[in-house]
Amino acid sequence: MKSRIEQVMKKFADKCDYLEVHFEETEESCIGFNGPRLSDLGRRVDFGGNVRALHRGGWGFASFNSVDRLEEFAQYAVDQARTVGKEVSRLAETEPVVADVPVKLRSDPRNVSLEKKVEILRAYNKRALGFGDGVTSTVVTYFDRFHKFWFGSSEGSLVYQERVDIGGRVSPVAARDGDTQSYNVGFGGSDDFGVVKGLEAEIDEACAVALGKLDAPKIKGGEYTVILDPRLAGVFVHEAFGHLSEGDNVYEDENLQKVMKLGRRFGGSFLNVYDTGLDRGLRGHLVYDDEGVATEKTYLIREGELVGRLHSRETAGKMGEKPTGNARCLDYRFPPIPRMRNTCIAQGEATFDEMIAGIDYGVYCISASGGQTNGEMFTFTAANARMIRDGKLAEQVRDVTLTGNVFTTLENIDLIANDLAAHDGGGGCGKAGQFPLPVTHGSPHVRIRNVVIGGE
Amino acid sequence: MKKIIERALRRGAARAEVFYLNSLQTEVSYEAGRLKELANTEETGVALRLVKDGKLGFATTTKLTDLDRLVDDALATALCGDYIEFDFAVAGDLPDSRFFDKAIAELSVDEMMKHSEAGIARLLDYEKSIQAESGTSRNMQTIQVLNSDGVDAEFERTQYQFYVHGRLVEGTNMLDAGAYSGGTALDVDFDGLYKNAVDEFKRARTNVDLATGKTTVILTPRAVADIMLTLNFGVSGAYVEQGISPLVGKLGERIFDERITIRDDGLRSGGYRSAPFDDEGVPMQTTTLVESGVLRSYLTDLRTARKLNHADTGNGLKAKRLIGAKELGKAPAPEITNWVMEGGEKSHEELLSEIGSGVLVDSIMGLLMSNLIAGEFGGNLAYGLKIEDGKTTGRVKDAMISGNIYKLFRKNLVALSKDVELTGLLGGIGTHWYPYVVLRNVTIATKS
Repeated sequence: MKSRIEQVMKKFADKCDYLEVHFEETEESCIGFNGPRLSDLGRRVDFGGNVRALHRGGWGFASFNSVDRLEEFAQYAVDQARTVGKEVSRLAETEPVVADVPVKLRSDPRNVSLEKKVEILRAYNKRALGFGDGVTSTVVTYFDRFHKFWFGSSEGSLVYQERVDIGGRVSPVAARDGDTQSYNVGFGGSDDFGVVKGLEAEIDEACAVALGKLDAPKIKGGEYTVILDPRLAGVFVHEAFGHLSEGDNVYEDENLQKVMKLGRRFGGSFLNVYDTGLDRGLRGHLVYDDEGVATEKTYLIREGELVGRLHSRETAGKMGEKPTGNARCLDYRFPPIPRMRNTCIAQGEATFDEMIAGIDYGVYCISASGGQTNGEMFTFTAANARMIRDGKLAEQVRDVTLTGNVFTTLENIDLIANDLAAHDGGGGCGKAGQFPLPVTHGSPHVRIRNVVIGGE
Repeated sequence: MKKIIERALRRGAARAEVFYLNSLQTEVSYEAGRLKELANTEETGVALRLVKDGKLGFATTTKLTDLDRLVDDALATALCGDYIEFDFAVAGDLPDSRFFDKAIAELSVDEMMKHSEAGIARLLDYEKSIQAESGTSRNMQTIQVLNSDGVDAEFERTQYQFYVHGRLVEGTNMLDAGAYSGGTALDVDFDGLYKNAVDEFKRARTNVDLATGKTTVILTPRAVADIMLTLNFGVSGAYVEQGISPLVGKLGERIFDERITIRDDGLRSGGYRSAPFDDEGVPMQTTTLVESGVLRSYLTDLRTARKLNHADTGNGLKAKRLIGAKELGKAPAPEITNWVMEGGEKSHEELLSEIGSGVLVDSIMGLLMSNLIAGEFGGNLAYGLKIEDGKTTGRVKDAMISGNIYKLFRKNLVALSKDVELTGLLGGIGTHWYPYVVLRNVTIATKS
């Protein structure tokens, strides 16, 4: 593949300001159960590439499976960039990288037979279905992917990388009288098939939670003091702040740049938020991003003040900031754009007991069913919740969807605990049609005042 | 493709089915009001299902130079697969509907640029500090389904999509608005779309307070499409078979107000997902799901039709859940095509003018996290307007709507509008046709 990249560079590099070529080969196995049925069992080979050209600020992009027609697509990308470009190309400078990055695995999913994988998932599925009357169905998913990437640029970068992504979930579904409730046990990682193992206790707990939700009352809508557990707080920081920190939201918008100016205060001096690609084993781990930029740990908020954002070379270049290694693409069908890796609220000093003691009437929100943002406002949904009354955990409630505003909600965080934990589920992040990208999030327990929760 | 089937049979498969997809998509995209990128996406891939020793195997590849690997992979999965519970499609008559529009096939990059540029110009004319973006794309697909039982079918399809969108940031207030269209025939009132995008901005420039409580809401077609995700799940043969749809055992029963009629129309002219046959080679059709409030049909593929003893509605599609884009790596499963809901007596303007106080709901953020299967929907009002004395007075923010369609569409329906409009799901995916829907006593929680 490398020689094909070099050939394209030789022929086309001097016809535009910047040129890059990606190839990607992925092998995937996936398994799924819906109730007792093995609903999904497949193998997938995906092989393709793209050429991306930049000329006078305009991009031409061509992705393809017909790799034998590479030169034709390169010509297209270059021609289109020349059609689009009317200004100046500005990419933040980085050192060209020549590297081979084979993956180092603790346990390689490719060394485990498909039969064995099916057996493990089938046992989980049986366990959930056999939990008791009420757990009437399940959704179980599993995938493992082995990616090989080749990347080369007209600046002399030539990188071969391997990446592994493993993930999935076991969701017991409880149904009664037309009502359906479920709870997820998600798992994931980037270097260890072992993440699939040993989920029995979590599955039992998930069955109990799903059954409990059938009897639990819906929460009453209104404003509450809430404690988020580390899993939900991770989703919260991803939605509430991570997305707004992505350089492509800001770099062309002067009005937004005014409010997202470095140094702006977003929270108390005990609030620190970062995004990192350095944590080996997590799904958000990266060595080089999809522009060949080395990954790093990037602080977004330090002691309550905005100190950084997540950049591609283009957004960094246009804003006069440093690239951070956040340019990522879902696969070769898409150009890389600024995306998160592992986004965390940093360790605090409070304890859970201190947090709850100060709440007369509030909600303890546990684990996440997901979240979404449109920039300023965001929502995220607790997969389970319990009321807090007089400083103590009280009855289970359900349908807890929280909403907030990035410019006020972070300020309303008044306590951060000392129990930071990062968690990988089997899902992913979606943006600009690129879903699901493997990301991780983490946080300690967090207490927030005045959060609106929907409900009747 | 025939060779793949022959090879699979030679290697011991009793039956085999091949799905072939080739597509070429061209897209122009604009960011910050300027042309940003021209992109070409060529995609070619094959999916193989086979039956060996009574068990189903499945594999896909986009590496067409290594089709032996494809057959090996499918055979390997058949070893640990479940026993197959259905037969592949049999050859028969297919609808002669065509979804190939020369106007899309011949749409030039220059013309695509013109559509996007005109949309952006309209937004900037209205307010020059809007961050405007737009995309126009055309896609040409060839889809083939072959099997060892004699099916050998192929069609070509053209699709276009267009959006114009803007974000206006004033202080820490952000307002997003825009317009979308898509389909298999280029029959678009671009001017109308531009006007809608500008009108969305105009109506939401001031923020107004709303008290927590139950109120009358008018859902725009776009909001109805999103909320109907609940019913999309409810009528899915897969969820019915699994026993987790609330509509299990309800065929022939009244589930909604008698004014509600909904069809899944896989043959609709111009429909984004319209096709003569589904991804298993079964003819697509128009299926009445709800007729005057009564549940008439589920949506099925070959397997669930057999399992539920239900007609095969031709909805076996390889589609990414919700997003619906063809995803080669997925096995066919019951998936919606284009949904159409019948309208009512009065125009939506008349209906709005009759609302004394209420909220217009256009876009709900976080809807996907709701317990959709149970019919529940909820989230933050990303675009909602307060209504006083029959007029919209400004934008409602920091508000959460929640409800359950199996209650609201049965007991709380006030009216459906006469005008039925094309809309995409989730702000811009596919084509569905819905009226405005007025509901009473819907809960909205706010800060005040």
